[in-house]
Amino acid sequence: MWKSCGRKACALALAALPLAAAAKPIAFAHGTTVMAEYGAGTMTEVQAFYAPSYRYSFGGGHLALDSEIDDRSRDITYLRFNVLPKRWNLPTAQANVFAWGGVGRAHVGETGEDEFAWNAGGQFDYETRRVYASLRTDLHESSAFSHRIDTLQLGFAPYAHETNELAVWFVVQAREFTGGLYDGTEVAALLRLFKRNAWIEAGLTQDGKLQAMVMFNF
Amino acid sequence: MKHLKILLLMAGLAPAVAAHAATIEMTVNGLVCGFCAQGIEKTLRRNAATEDVFVSLEHRLVAVATKPDADIPDETLREALRDSGYDVTAIERTGRSLAEIRAGAAAKP
Repeated sequence: MWKSCGRKACALALAALPLAAAAKPIAFAHGTTVMAEYGAGTMTEVQAFYAPSYRYSFGGGHLALDSEIDDRSRDITYLRFNVLPKRWNLPTAQANVFAWGGVGRAHVGETGEDEFAWNAGGQFDYETRRVYASLRTDLHESSAFSHRIDTLQLGFAPYAHETNELAVWFVVQAREFTGGLYDGTEVAALLRLFKRNAWIEAGLTQDGKLQAMVMFNF
Repeated sequence: MKHLKILLLMAGLAPAVAAHAATIEMTVNGLVCGFCAQGIEKTLRRNAATEDVFVSLEHRLVAVATKPDADIPDETLREALRDSGYDVTAIERTGRSLAEIRAGAAAKP
């Protein structure tokens, strides 16, 4: 019990710290964000959010987790609320702190049962037109499991793109899973491209597995 | 006679100056990616006085061409950018057309 509460407290504390991530859960006011990620076979996630304001968004998603270690699998469908408690607008840079939380249902593969599940997380990112860093944590909990996914991304752009130009980024991603999903740190090298409202990134992990994401804002 | 010529010259120039003055150029903090531009354009185009919008990340510039005989108050512009998540540091009304601003931004140093 205390151990479980400790994990939750740590995760919530992490959510409030400067964590960072790639895609933002709030793109812009009155904007809709749709994204899908394939995480090297361990995680697959789709999300859709609408932002009435640049400060918050709401929507839902589906996360499938498949352990690299054993037969553990979860299918989690959730509703989520995202907030942007802090943004720093600098002359040539921007930094953000995001936090989110939600509830949903989870199907636990090894037992075949459905459970109530909740999630919480946060992200910090800092970017200029040439440098990018983000740290993100995402906790999914139910009475049957507790998984936290921590993701660090560092990127650089070979040139500073203009508004309507193709943006090219080289990104290194390090990710860790708790709860018996993956042993160690999964590292991936990614190529990220975006232009106007479309974003795509793809690369390989150290195990040679595909890591990819697409995102559209409109 | 000399004063009359000056007055006529000024009267002739006035409409031209007014026609070119319908561009508002704003210096904005936090412009780092194309998604920023997309959100700002979407917000500013909702204003009935907006004719066209141009965003340059390189020049930290958001330029708004207004419709003939229309203007957008500074406070409305600041609020629109604030609601988009960005900070305006300066607002200037200039005689440059949006085409000239685009061409200037496209010219790499």
